[in-house]
Amino acid sequence: MNRNIFGFKNSLASRVIFSTVLLSLGVVWLTGSALYSQLSDGVKQVNLETSLAEARSSFFNAQYEFLLVKGANTKIITETVQEIIISSTEVSLNQDRKSIFLSRFGQSADPLGNEIAPDYSTATDELDISSFPTELRQRVRASDIVEYKYATVKYKNRADADVLIAGRRIAIPESGNYEMYLVYPLTNQNTTLSLIKSSLLFTGLALLFLIGLITWLVVRQVVRPVREAARIAQQFTEGDFSQRMKVESSDEIATLGTAFNEMALSLESQITRLENLSRVQQRFVSDVSHELRTPLTTLRMASEVIYSAKTSFDPTIARSSELLVAQLDRFEKLLEDLLEVSRFDAEVAVLEPVEFDLVRLIERCIEDVRANAHDHTISVEIDHETEQVMVRADIRRVERIMRNLLSNALDHADEKPIHVSVVANATEVGVGVRDFGPGMDPASLSRVFDRFWRADPSRARVRGGTGLGLSIALEDARLHNGELDAWGALGQGAHFVLTLPLIAGSQISGRPIRPQPKDYPQPI
Amino acid sequence: MTLVMVVDDDQDLAEMLGIVLTGAGIDVDLVSRGDEVLEVFRNNPPDLVLLDVMLPGLDGIEVCKLIRAESMVPIVMLSAKGDSHDVVRGLEAGADDYMVKPFRHPSELIARIRTRLRRTNADISGLLVIGDLSIDVTAHEVSRAGKKIALTRLEFDLLVALAKEPGRVFTRDALLGEVWGYRHSTDTRLVNVHVQRLRSKVEHDPEHPQIIMTVRGVGYKAGVLGGS
Repeated sequence: MNRNIFGFKNSLASRVIFSTVLLSLGVVWLTGSALYSQLSDGVKQVNLETSLAEARSSFFNAQYEFLLVKGANTKIITETVQEIIISSTEVSLNQDRKSIFLSRFGQSADPLGNEIAPDYSTATDELDISSFPTELRQRVRASDIVEYKYATVKYKNRADADVLIAGRRIAIPESGNYEMYLVYPLTNQNTTLSLIKSSLLFTGLALLFLIGLITWLVVRQVVRPVREAARIAQQFTEGDFSQRMKVESSDEIATLGTAFNEMALSLESQITRLENLSRVQQRFVSDVSHELRTPLTTLRMASEVIYSAKTSFDPTIARSSELLVAQLDRFEKLLEDLLEVSRFDAEVAVLEPVEFDLVRLIERCIEDVRANAHDHTISVEIDHETEQVMVRADIRRVERIMRNLLSNALDHADEKPIHVSVVANATEVGVGVRDFGPGMDPASLSRVFDRFWRADPSRARVRGGTGLGLSIALEDARLHNGELDAWGALGQGAHFVLTLPLIAGSQISGRPIRPQPKDYPQPI
Repeated sequence: MTLVMVVDDDQDLAEMLGIVLTGAGIDVDLVSRGDEVLEVFRNNPPDLVLLDVMLPGLDGIEVCKLIRAESMVPIVMLSAKGDSHDVVRGLEAGADDYMVKPFRHPSELIARIRTRLRRTNADISGLLVIGDLSIDVTAHEVSRAGKKIALTRLEFDLLVALAKEPGRVFTRDALLGEVWGYRHSTDTRLVNVHVQRLRSKVEHDPEHPQIIMTVRGVGYKAGVLGGS
């Protein structure tokens, strides 16, 4: 099971956390932005009102001062201008330095071209006058009240600044009309605003983190039992039925746990029941085996005694004794095969591997099968690349496979020779048994390993095979982790290929001999 | 005349075995219960015991151990189960050979019995020395430093088969043919179990055998004459 809780696709918890955080992000963003815009509007409004109030008083003061010096000489007026500049730019505690700008407009000379009085135009702090918005200046010239505007102004000796400009028309005696501007830098306001912004941002992020954390804690409560259920189910798969879920509460999760545990209990009892059945079945097979074999032994000995005396009987009784012996043989073989099949079905067949030379075993099997064959004219040729193929396998089962394949081939050989080939590589060995008899159509081929299936029901059971030989051979091969393949074509004979790992139980990686024979499709 | 004790609880089979063996010129003593075997055995010691595994009274394996405790008589187990578990248990209990019911032919049974009764290695006589063991084939005795070692007939035959050609490697199949009289059999467990038993009697250290050595993947050989 994936323990990475932040793995996205395979974790419910991380998916829930992710979507919760994403949605919260939207909410926090919206509320944060609204809050910020309200706060900043408020701050700006307060700042604007304070600045304008101050500006109004400064302008009023200036007008008053100039009224007082009406008719005075240039020196006094100049001094008054200086005083006004100083008093207007006086900095209160939490303010940035203001700038002031005076500029004469309108009449600057009498009709004769003589300059009327001195021009008191001035600017503090190296203000770049050209950066003043002309729209504001026109408004100020035309208006009788205080005009203001937010703008960015340039300074000749320092960086540009965002400022609030308040202006009013002022008359200076003996000189004319002036625009007077007070420039309030917004540095302070901007600092406050950015502080608010960063506070909001930080709060939002912290909130998001906390929401994520809380979601995780909540989701974990739900997901943990689900994970536990998955883990226990996994253990079930591995065959351990003793695990149960903890049920600690009475909520839906507890219902899941209880249902799960009930399922586990039911599964366990069913499996125990099946195991018992299998044990009973196995026991039954073993008992049947014992109970049948003892009378069969007596029967066989009796029949042999009768058979050995057959020359003294009249021909029908003599023939009967022959049939008796032959049928007992067949009966016994069938019993053995049935027992073997039931062992495979009960999955109690065990492999007893020993080391031996496969080539020698095959040669011996060929000798034996030919010695027992009714038709001694069929030749069996063996073709092996190496003198010896040492394998570690259950020799009894391999011998049985070979006998089954060989007698099957002899049954269907139609008196044509049989080819046996052995090819080994580093990990596995292939044994091919090829006959050139009537062969099989694809339908027959697909059923060739079925129990009690016969290729041609009308065909005489010459050798008295049980019909279980090939299916047992297949089970035997698979018990070794090997494989048994069949190939056949009508009129082309058949080819059975056994592939065994050199060491029983290890994997086979291919087929040293292909089921489709090399001689196909050459005409035979 | 040769006497064979047949121990089987199936009356009909026992009677049939009696008919077949008598027909082959062998006297038969029939016993049907495991717990009666020892008494009959002591009163009338047979030349060979044919012993069924499943017996009322006392299990065939137990009976085999009891007989072996007091006699070296050849024992052939009869088993209705082909399961290797039973076969190996029987062999380890001291049986020399086993036959799985049903037998292919009664003649096969008689052949087995004859093999067990016959003196194998009749062609060899005198004294064989292997390692520090001396084998008196004629007297059927094995001794080490003057001390006699008690071996069953089969163990003796197995030892002589190996010792008569020291250093030659015998495959398990070859030993099965020579000692047990099998034409061909794939059941090498017989050889393995008996080699283990023989080693436990004649080796100084059965874990590191010096007398009967394993040749991996092939079979066994006797330690070279005069070797340690």
